[in-house]
Amino acid sequence: MAKTKRTIGHSLLTKESSAGVLFTLPFTVGFLMFMIVPMGISLYYSFCEYNILSEPKFIGLDNFIKMFTDDAIYMTSLKVTFFFAFVSVPIRLVFALIVALILLRTTKVTGFYRAAYYLPSIIGGSVAVAILWKRMFAIDGVVNALLGKIGIETSFSWLGDKRTAIWVLILLSVWQFGSSMLIFLSALKQIPSNLYESARVDGAGKIAQFFKITLPLLTPTIFFNLVMQMINGFLAFTQSMIITQGKPLNSTLFYAVYVYQQSFEFYNTGYGAAMAWVMLALIGAVTGILFATKKFWVYEGGL
Amino acid sequence: MRKVLAMLLIGSVFCGMMAGCGSSERAGDEQSASGTKGTDTEESGSEEGSTGGETNLTFAWWGNQTRNEMTQGAIDLYVSENPGVTIDGQFAEFNDYWNKMATSSAGHTLPDIIQMDYGYIEQYANNDLLLDLTPYIEDGTLNVSDIDEKNLNVGKVGDGIYGICLTVSPPALTYNKTLLDENGITVKNNMSMEEFFDVCREVYEKTGYKTNISYGNDVYLTYLLRANDEVLYEKGKLGVKSPESLQKYFEIYELGLEEGWLLDPGVFAERTLGSMEQDAMVYGNSPETMSWCSFIWANQLSAIQNAAPEGMELDMVTYPSPDPEKCNFLKPSQLFCVTVDSKNSEEAVKFIDFLVNSQECNEILLCERGILTNTKMGEAIIPKLSDADKKAIEFTNNVIIPTSSQVNPAPPEGSSEVSSLIGKMIERGCYQEISAEDAAQEIFDQGNEIMAANADK
Repeated sequence: MAKTKRTIGHSLLTKESSAGVLFTLPFTVGFLMFMIVPMGISLYYSFCEYNILSEPKFIGLDNFIKMFTDDAIYMTSLKVTFFFAFVSVPIRLVFALIVALILLRTTKVTGFYRAAYYLPSIIGGSVAVAILWKRMFAIDGVVNALLGKIGIETSFSWLGDKRTAIWVLILLSVWQFGSSMLIFLSALKQIPSNLYESARVDGAGKIAQFFKITLPLLTPTIFFNLVMQMINGFLAFTQSMIITQGKPLNSTLFYAVYVYQQSFEFYNTGYGAAMAWVMLALIGAVTGILFATKKFWVYEGGL
Repeated sequence: MRKVLAMLLIGSVFCGMMAGCGSSERAGDEQSASGTKGTDTEESGSEEGSTGGETNLTFAWWGNQTRNEMTQGAIDLYVSENPGVTIDGQFAEFNDYWNKMATSSAGHTLPDIIQMDYGYIEQYANNDLLLDLTPYIEDGTLNVSDIDEKNLNVGKVGDGIYGICLTVSPPALTYNKTLLDENGITVKNNMSMEEFFDVCREVYEKTGYKTNISYGNDVYLTYLLRANDEVLYEKGKLGVKSPESLQKYFEIYELGLEEGWLLDPGVFAERTLGSMEQDAMVYGNSPETMSWCSFIWANQLSAIQNAAPEGMELDMVTYPSPDPEKCNFLKPSQLFCVTVDSKNSEEAVKFIDFLVNSQECNEILLCERGILTNTKMGEAIIPKLSDADKKAIEFTNNVIIPTSSQVNPAPPEGSSEVSSLIGKMIERGCYQEISAEDAAQEIFDQGNEIMAANADK
């Protein structure tokens, strides 16, 4: 009896799958505790009237109905977020690709430049950079000072004008092109050079080479970057929270910031949770649409 | 199929971050909730809050640089007088402070002692987040004999006393005295609206400085409504009978825009509203981005004077009003409460007693939070006061107290959301996105709706 027990214990220990389970445990436990459980709770709250201070009260679909019928600011935040994601992501990707193409050629200083261009991606999402950005675009900030130096004296309020404020945030986001750039860079290196050689032999110029070889072979990478950055774009929070808090006139009110405001400033936490779940559905839908378009433009065949 | 799965996976992982965000505080909630419920707040003194005979307290307040330094000084004094007690001071700006308190309350990790605002005490007491201090007052741990009954009742919710009102403060129009003196412009107490507008025009013509009228908050609106005997926030509704009185307020902004003396709203986009250090009266580099005055509270004079550039002397008069006697009031500016999450409530109460009754402590804190409700103490510290504090006290005693009325009742739940709505409407008004009439109508409609929704809860 005791012997069989030991064998079972032994076999459990030596089984390869046990090791797998063991090693993934830190992630699994964290994922369950800090993702799945809170998500479940937030799903429950989304059907509740919940003000944090007192117990949640079940109200069915009221939060969702209110969102789409009786909350103009919600619609504004949705528009702002879509605008931000659909404008900043393509610009950022184009930028990343251009810089990646430039840095593809190896010289003595490319290593330095790669690191330098990657830096904003690491620090760009931080509070410190957001504050720096805010100061740069202040009325008495460095941007206006530089404009003054080149003869354009101005006390224009970049963050105070609803036409420009969102662009300040988009610019910050575009500036963080480093991680996409690195991914492009490694993809570019994998394109076999014999393709370019034969193209040259056939008389194709640089531009034709780019559009006929480089771009088609990059489409899987572009697709990956697009999906990931799009999701990030929808979830943008720090920039708006630190720099503008949605001001002026809600023209920079990102969805996530509005969720935060409803949840923790107005104490409508149930409503905030409902909004977060709608965002989940929206991101799912947008990602789904992107995947659906994949077969029309992404090259997946072998070489 | 695999693609769909992959897509769902990516989507869900990333959104999890967001959906989880709505309630990330909940993860630890279950455990700590049972922790606090299981143990009686009074008896559990030696568990988590203290280690090896040491008592650890946390004390949170909102404020500015001046207050933070003074309060830390008072904490240091208390700790040095009470070996074995440590106090962790935590501070934030007003708005952030309440976000933090709300989330801490959900996690049952509220600080032991919290600074409380008149506008929030009902909500916090009614949700059983605060400790009733009555037993401690009865057994003498907390001595409030020098605070008069009226001020003591400010902390009363139902039958219990949940907060001790340490200070009171009237609204005060602070102004850049240096600027006005240099240009021979005078302001006075109890100005009528027309007189005030004349000053705004004169300042703008002579100096280029503009006027900031209570941008982004409801303080001045609440004040002016008192002239028509209207209380802005009532239980379940707004206390204004029709949108007209709201419209009159928004017409002030229209007038200022038309005549050019209203401060451009773009200035505020880059500021933290409510921060003394970033107030447009003391912060800015050219007249067109600065205001000659600021609608704040008398006690804030010392903080804003400290934030002012060298050589700028500030002073104060009453808010302009059609009926000063009805409009002026003394606001209970700061209450102090012990929360139910405190593991050392007895020690926490002792610290509040120290704030109320220790002369050394009040010689550090002075009148930065307002006029002390402990009248004896108020007299005792007079020699130590700064010029700014002395101005505030004189203003309160000589100008406000003789001609003022009772403060509005504590605003019920929903008021903070309506207040934010009013702030947004002022913003839209200043950007000329909405007319005074429409702004008033929107506040009237939406405000009543919000207040009603909160009353049902």
